[in-house]
Amino acid sequence: MGEFAIKTSKLGKRYVLGTRGAHQGLHKLFEDNLRALAKPFLIQHSVADADQHPQFLWALRDIDLSIRHGEIVGLAGHNGAGKSVLLKILSRITWPTEGQATLEGKVGSMLEVGAGFHPEFTGRENVFLVAATLGMTVDEVREKFDQIVEFAEVHDMLDTPVKRYSSGMYVRLAFSMAAHLNANIMLFDEVIAVGDADFREKCLARIKVMADEGRTIIFVSHNMELIKELCPRTLILSSGKLVHDGPTDIDLLDRYAHLVEHR
Amino acid sequence: MIPAMKIDTDNLSSHMIVPQLGWVPLNLRELWKYRQLLRIFVWRDVKARYKQTMAGVTWVIIQPLIAMVVFSLFFGRWLGISSGDVPYPIFTFCALIPWTYFVHALTVSSNSVVGQQSVITKVYFPRLLMPLSAVLSGLVDLFAALVILIPLMFFYGLKPGWELIFLPVFILLALLTALSVGVWLAAINVRFRDVNQAMPFVTQLWMFCTPVAYPLSVVPENLRPIYELNPMVAVVEGFRWAVAGQGELPLRMMLVSICAMLVVLIGGLYWFRREEACFADVV
Repeated sequence: MGEFAIKTSKLGKRYVLGTRGAHQGLHKLFEDNLRALAKPFLIQHSVADADQHPQFLWALRDIDLSIRHGEIVGLAGHNGAGKSVLLKILSRITWPTEGQATLEGKVGSMLEVGAGFHPEFTGRENVFLVAATLGMTVDEVREKFDQIVEFAEVHDMLDTPVKRYSSGMYVRLAFSMAAHLNANIMLFDEVIAVGDADFREKCLARIKVMADEGRTIIFVSHNMELIKELCPRTLILSSGKLVHDGPTDIDLLDRYAHLVEHR
Repeated sequence: MIPAMKIDTDNLSSHMIVPQLGWVPLNLRELWKYRQLLRIFVWRDVKARYKQTMAGVTWVIIQPLIAMVVFSLFFGRWLGISSGDVPYPIFTFCALIPWTYFVHALTVSSNSVVGQQSVITKVYFPRLLMPLSAVLSGLVDLFAALVILIPLMFFYGLKPGWELIFLPVFILLALLTALSVGVWLAAINVRFRDVNQAMPFVTQLWMFCTPVAYPLSVVPENLRPIYELNPMVAVVEGFRWAVAGQGELPLRMMLVSICAMLVVLIGGLYWFRREEACFADVV
């Protein structure tokens, strides 16, 4: 269809800071009303006043992005820069406050190691569970099942609940699933930080293969070496704004370090 | 090595993400697309309920069974409440089966969103699957309790008639009633955890408004029109009719309460969809 897998324009997400009104519960509403009534008799009501003026935080604002099919894009930024919020919006977990995003195809996201796993389910059952969250049918999963297990190296543990898995096995299975299911847009949030060096190499190789297959990948990491190795293009977010969007270069590391220091 | 495959980028469907404000369509087609996940969710709920319990499914049977014994003793024997032409234990057990299911389905579905915080902040799927799977998984308990009814009926020398084929209709009505209130509570619970506090109280009051322990005939005629708006009245009367052959098919009652239930259900589904946008942010 189109040229771009992901296209956003003026995308923004605003959060209300603090806990006000509905977010706090009925008793708070009741208390606020009571306070308002009693206001003339109260000497100090600074706390109540602070509540009256909600503070907003733009976790993300004015994000204009165009990502082509088959691109691997690195996404960096300090903690709280809006990386996760962006991925959450793209994977339809939360909604934007303004702007829009258009996605072509199926989005598979891995926002946390083993997100969507059920701890009581066995490895085998979890493969079907996670696949079903992508809207895949049992037959489609069966087709890929052996590949998934082989890549994750969890043959012996397939019928054990994943709550008894080591963190290494956990991340291997989770990544393997994400890598083999039929989504064409993949969003990874700092997920291969876990796991040993060998498996990391394997993951990186696999991500490259996925990109060759024509999948689009956004890869969030604090590890600039990983991004340099993997992503021809880098985005840097700072306080919800896109401050860099272009080819990955050596300057990048310095610039990124500078950003983190001077925020 | 993994066979190279090319993603065909020409035939991808695109979707647009825009701010969600106000009412949105139910998108039942997507729900249907995710039916596989619904099945897994139901299975997960059932499995989670019985894992690491020694008595397992017996727990489900014990609950209505003990209630039946207590009710028969207090209301049937000591208070002498009339149960019409069927023995009191059968009379009340026929009501306790759908009632126990209903309370369970309602409680679980109202907690279905709040109880899965870690999933809804990390994974996308149509959120309506959560209350839906909650009311469906309770059906296992209901069928287990129905099995217990067989020896009980035999003991009292009762045989179900042709009416029994209508039982699924009343089970469906109980399910939809639980779902209709459950979707409201599930969505409200995300913002106001007061729902959890109110639940036991609400279900207790509701039971008084349902002829579980007493026959419908004790309700004053002039209150009936309001009383019968409660779909569980039709469910309980329907169970008694279908299983024990007591009374008649409560057709008028059913029509009234189906209408009442549909209003609540459709409103609830739309409300749930509307609130869905803030689930991940607020929960």
